Amino acid sequence: MSISTGSIAKLLTEPTSGERTRQRVNLVMRVLVGIAAFLAILPLVALIVFVVLKAAPYLVPSFFANNPLDTEPGILNAIVGSLQLSGLTVLISGPIGIAGGVFLSEFASPRVVAIGETAIDVMLGVPSIVAGVFAYLILVPVLGFSGWAAVAALSILTLPIMMRSTQEVLRLVPQAIREASLALGVPVWKTALFVSVRTALPGILTGVILAFSRALGETAPLLMTARGTNAENWLDFSTTMNAMPIVIYQYSNAASDLLIGQAWATALVLMTIALTINVLVRGRTVNSRTA
Amino acid sequence: MESGERNAHTSPAGAMDELAQATARPTAQKAARAASSDNDAGRLTLDNVSARYGAFRAVKDVTLAVRPKSVTALIGPSGCGKSTLIRTINRMHETLPGATVSGSITLDGVDLYSSNVDPVRARRVVGMVFQKPNPFPTMSISENVSSGLRLTGGTSKSEIEGIVEDSLRRAALWDEVKEKLNQPGTSLSGGQQQRLCIARTIAVKPRVVLMDEPCSALDPVATLKIEELIRDLAAEYTIVIVTHNMQQASRVSDETAFFSMDDDRAGYLVETGPTAEMFTNPKQALTEGYIQGRFG
Ligand SMILES: Nc1ncnc2c1ncn2[C@@H]1O[C@H](COP(=O)(O)OP(=O)(O)OP(=O)(O)O)[C@@H](O)[C@H]1O
Ligand SMILES: [Mg+2]
Repeated sequence: MSISTGSIAKLLTEPTSGERTRQRVNLVMRVLVGIAAFLAILPLVALIVFVVLKAAPYLVPSFFANNPLDTEPGILNAIVGSLQLSGLTVLISGPIGIAGGVFLSEFASPRVVAIGETAIDVMLGVPSIVAGVFAYLILVPVLGFSGWAAVAALSILTLPIMMRSTQEVLRLVPQAIREASLALGVPVWKTALFVSVRTALPGILTGVILAFSRALGETAPLLMTARGTNAENWLDFSTTMNAMPIVIYQYSNAASDLLIGQAWATALVLMTIALTINVLVRGRTVNSRTA
Repeated sequence: MESGERNAHTSPAGAMDELAQATARPTAQKAARAASSDNDAGRLTLDNVSARYGAFRAVKDVTLAVRPKSVTALIGPSGCGKSTLIRTINRMHETLPGATVSGSITLDGVDLYSSNVDPVRARRVVGMVFQKPNPFPTMSISENVSSGLRLTGGTSKSEIEGIVEDSLRRAALWDEVKEKLNQPGTSLSGGQQQRLCIARTIAVKPRVVLMDEPCSALDPVATLKIEELIRDLAAEYTIVIVTHNMQQASRVSDETAFFSMDDDRAGYLVETGPTAEMFTNPKQALTEGYIQGRFG
């Protein structure tokens, strides 16, 4: 059976009935998937539009520059408090979490790794309200409502995040790199520190930043520990502190249009910070991947 | 200039003495000192070496004498334990979970597995080049070369600079990288990266250099460059190289050891001898079959 040129052209260009059905199914599927994607994004878009519209009138300079009891009230003390609480949380839980992740990835025996990973999974599953209750019932009686109690509660939440992310990025370091170092007569601990951790450092720092952003948004543990205050508190973790999530929670129940508006505005600030961090982190990872 | 460089490289407090100092046994110390003072330093003796992964024995009772300052090629079918065996010589095998070694491996009379020898010291004396080039991705070309010295300490900054250049020259890479020593090691081509890894290995002044299929990821031109380099290095180092390429074995090696696998997949040494003899006139039919098949 010979095939003429004409029939090849026909073969290439003339659709069969099966193909026509396929093309139609394709089209339908694309439309359906498109609708699904739109429905998924819709709430997010609605949320952002809503927050921005509601917040916009209240985003005046005094909102950022003043404290709640000033004549033109603002949320400076909450911004300051949030950054301090999240910052100290990361400063405390960061080194411990990173050390734990390095230990599991570089030093622990397979048995210990299995136990450690289970422990991390359990800790990751702790709802933030539970961390808050723990701090409220155990720490607050001793420390009082305070920044320290809040940092303790937040650290319970960020510690496993940091251990897990450190362990995961170290897992991406090729074994060949470690072997190269060991084969040069470099001791195991130096190989772990100056080769494995050094190679994974951008990823480890990304984990720290994400933990910071997670701590920023936590609300329940803060309500039960730092409690909120109208005063501006710089670095005194032994007493109450204000924080953006506390402001949002308290103001949105208030009977004043100004406070409700400021709750929206605070939400926008918090969202913007978290979003900026996430975008920056994405940029970092993309950069370090292409580098 | 050549001899000056060499003296700088083989400092009196050499790695072999270091290893010997770590050994309390007086006889071994004496043997090591005697050996390192003579030109015959770097004699490797494997005696009844077996290597296991858990219960599985991958290498069975290998007894092999490696001549100092020569190239010994390990050849044999895939899976017969060549990589495993070579990794027992620098005590890398035991770094894998469940991996164990029995028998003895002595270097100039010092048992590398004696309880007095720190595996870290053993690895400094016995260097290794891997199958795939593995430069440290966060380090520049010159940092890669000096990495072993910097991470093990005890070498001054001014010394390091000289050693970096010297090692890159020995690895026949200097002319290609001298203008860009601060660029990442991973920016080099595969063949250059492998020479960088060789430079990195010889920068810590080992006595023995192990190479596990060092050219298998490289093109023919880069391969020839590295083979030339291996021949040059053999003037100073004892070299053990694993290769699947029979032409390569015949080009670079002085001695060849042929390995095979028995029924329970344990690798064993079939025979060993001068390379020319092994390729023209092997004693065992098994060797002849493998070599002929490979030359095909
Ligand atoms: N990490 C490991 N764990 C368990 N078994 C292993 C491991 N590495 C190698 N083996 C086994 O040990 C045996 C020898 O492997 P080895 O890599 O030493 O062979 P080889 O001679 O180097 O092979 P090739 O020529 O393919 O590189 C094989 O049966 C292999 O399956
Ligand atoms: Mg191999």
